Amino acid sequence: MDPLFIPQPDTIPVSWGWFQFLLLLTFPLHLLAMNAMLGGLAIGIVQHVKGGELQRQLAHRIAIALPLVIAFVVNLGVAPLLFVQVLYGQFLYSSSILMGVFWILIVPILIIAYYSAYLYDFRFTQLGSAGPWVAILAFTLLVGIGFFFANNMLLMASPEQFGAYFSHKSGTLLSFGQPEFWPRFLHMLCGALAVGGLFVALLGRFRSAANPDLAHHAEHVGLQVFLVLTVGNILLGTWYFFSLPGEVRLLFMGHHFGATSAFCVALLLAAGTLFGAWKKRFWLTFYHAVGLVVVMSFMRSWVRSGYLKDFFSLDALRVVPQYSPMIFFFVTLLVGIVCLGWLLKKTSGALLLERGRE
Amino acid sequence: MNYPVWFLPETGGGFLIALISILHVFVSHFAVGGGLYLIYAEKKGLREKSQPILDFTKRHARFFLLITMVFGSISGVGIWFIIALVNPAATSLLIHNFVFGWAAEWVFFSVEIAAAFVYYYMFGRMDSKTHLQVGWLYFFAAWMSLALINGIIGVMLTPGSWAENMDFWAGFFNPGFFPSLVFRTFIAVMIAACYGYLSASFTTDSKTRVTMTRFSAKWALVSLGLSVISGFWYLSVLSDQSHGLVMGKSPTIVALLPWGGGGLLFFLLVMLGAGIIRPSLNHKPVALLAMVSALLIMGGFEWTREAARRPYVINEVMYSNSILKKDMADLNAKGYLHKALWVQNKQVSEDNLVAAGEELFLHQCYACHTVNGRNNDIVKATSSMSYGALVSYIKKIHEVRYFMPPFAGTEMEGRALAAYIAGGLHGKEIQEPPQGSSLAGPKNGATLFDENCASCHAVEDLTAALTGEDKTAVIGMLKTLNEISDAMEPFSGTEEEHEVLADFLKNTKQGGK
Repeated sequence: MDPLFIPQPDTIPVSWGWFQFLLLLTFPLHLLAMNAMLGGLAIGIVQHVKGGELQRQLAHRIAIALPLVIAFVVNLGVAPLLFVQVLYGQFLYSSSILMGVFWILIVPILIIAYYSAYLYDFRFTQLGSAGPWVAILAFTLLVGIGFFFANNMLLMASPEQFGAYFSHKSGTLLSFGQPEFWPRFLHMLCGALAVGGLFVALLGRFRSAANPDLAHHAEHVGLQVFLVLTVGNILLGTWYFFSLPGEVRLLFMGHHFGATSAFCVALLLAAGTLFGAWKKRFWLTFYHAVGLVVVMSFMRSWVRSGYLKDFFSLDALRVVPQYSPMIFFFVTLLVGIVCLGWLLKKTSGALLLERGRE
Repeated sequence: MNYPVWFLPETGGGFLIALISILHVFVSHFAVGGGLYLIYAEKKGLREKSQPILDFTKRHARFFLLITMVFGSISGVGIWFIIALVNPAATSLLIHNFVFGWAAEWVFFSVEIAAAFVYYYMFGRMDSKTHLQVGWLYFFAAWMSLALINGIIGVMLTPGSWAENMDFWAGFFNPGFFPSLVFRTFIAVMIAACYGYLSASFTTDSKTRVTMTRFSAKWALVSLGLSVISGFWYLSVLSDQSHGLVMGKSPTIVALLPWGGGGLLFFLLVMLGAGIIRPSLNHKPVALLAMVSALLIMGGFEWTREAARRPYVINEVMYSNSILKKDMADLNAKGYLHKALWVQNKQVSEDNLVAAGEELFLHQCYACHTVNGRNNDIVKATSSMSYGALVSYIKKIHEVRYFMPPFAGTEMEGRALAAYIAGGLHGKEIQEPPQGSSLAGPKNGATLFDENCASCHAVEDLTAALTGEDKTAVIGMLKTLNEISDAMEPFSGTEEEHEVLADFLKNTKQGGK
């Protein structure tokens, strides 16, 4: 057997369960925001290119929302990236270095994509026919970031590949050659585009009083996109499922109670989303889809621990206990939520007043 | 040693960290001070019932949003990415130890983003009292974010008792916490004022331009003065070693001094001349000069802070090359390569001397030295040194140059590193030096010079210093080198070696090497 290159992890201040909890709490939020960003932008581009008044209006609404959504994708990505480093840092730091050139490229790519999104928003009218091209640029760059993330998340779970470092010291290793990479990436991407449909429908609902036609159009388009892509994603998911290493796949087929139960719940939720989208019942679809993303993120966590089973388990992390900083964090979180609530209240109050005046 | 080394020989990881972090802090401090600036600019507009000033404030808020939300927040993530790539061991230690500090910072970052959006998008669309409260909430969240990061990164320079006990609170409230926080707060306001000055230069209405230029310049000068005062406070809490490095022992800091000082001078000139005395002179190129000057000041500070903790990346805990101070004795006894994870040569022999040396270079030197690059090029730095000089120098590298970490490993590993640099990089002959004067006969002057002086001096460089000195005086100098410069130690050879080396230096002076 080739030698393994797995660094020693650092100690953690509280039991790993807390970090797992926080990771699984924040990661689905990041996924939902990311889905809204990618799927929303894709639909916006198609609407913009298609032309027509309602389509253009919808594309504009999406363009206005896009920079805000990107900000929250990034923000909500910070927390899970922090917690996953605490739990799996020895794998993630190593895999990031192995693909260092691409990993650091994410930063300038994201800056360009983000500025493109602002350009698309602030200059939507002035850009004219160039607008969709700016949006396509942003979309391509954002998918590129997703591609690099997918590479790293698979690479970090494949420490048996780490020996390739010695022929990739400048950080040029990627994992898309692994058989499960493409179904995994495409399953995630297709899911993002589908859930983005629901975001578009939701965006339309915000305008239902001011522009009912737009709201109706947005919901129609959003649910249709969701339905078609979710059907497609079931096929991609099946491909992904059978591309997983046997031991990992079996976790979801009775070898692990939690993983198998989550898989069953996910199938039921998927059926619920399809039913809701078919019947054009937005909220039914929406809630099922949010639940599905949450359960899927749990399943993803089992996939990772399944991959790493032979090398590491979270129980191996040594705890040097210090609980007071965690209490400080929870208090801060509470204060933060109160502040966000206050901002929401004041903003919606002002907007209602504004609408009343109109 | 625990993590792989991302090897970009000509670029070097340090350069990438410096590039991303200096640009980031220039924007992130704007994100903090800018909140306060916007509040007071808006208040001024409201107090004076001036729509042009309110329009200016809104335009500036948009500029603020575009710079801080996009470049500021993404480059902040960028720092996290780059430090984890370049120094994963230190990043991991700080992430694991301070995870809840980072998590709390993330909460304030979230509030900061939301408040910034509400402030900009609701400008003129909500009552001014609430709008100003949103501004205050933004500033509070941004400042808290600064305070939290300041506590965590402050530990890298002034760890205090954290270096021993790794206690979260001891680390967070490290000796540098308050001075650094006050200093950064004033710097943040100064930079925000500079951005305001830039915005003013773009204002077409000349009255508003003059008003807001003077307003910005006053903020800039007052906060600059206060940051200088708090800077001295910050300096006073540094350890003796760090203090010494800042005050001139670090060549990196000395090299930067003209840039930082020049930035300060130009900044003062612009703000006084084209801000307070003649605000109408604030045109775009002038404002750009002020921005560049402020960037130099900020960059100078961050560069100094970074260099002041050498040879450590986390003072007193982890050396710049990721080796823990506490592991040093063990590595010297048992060998580095044997303990390191990401190496192919676990043992050194005469057969793999250069290959093992290359891995040692990668793990112990590359953190600061590039290979044929612009930044701290190892090839240039060692061009005058022979294999023997390198073997001798590597053994006492930390004693000769405090800011460089000691070499970690066995004597054989030290030879391997010397072999890679002399043989592998320079193509010089790898010839073992005589093993001690008693067995191999006395060393000649050239060898003594090579082993003891060549790491810092070329023979020719000493000619001027020794002109007119007789041999006795040169021997005297060799015994009291520490009086000439505290970067040197007295020559530690035998009496006979003193004479041989003095003869060599004197002969060289007369032109015969």
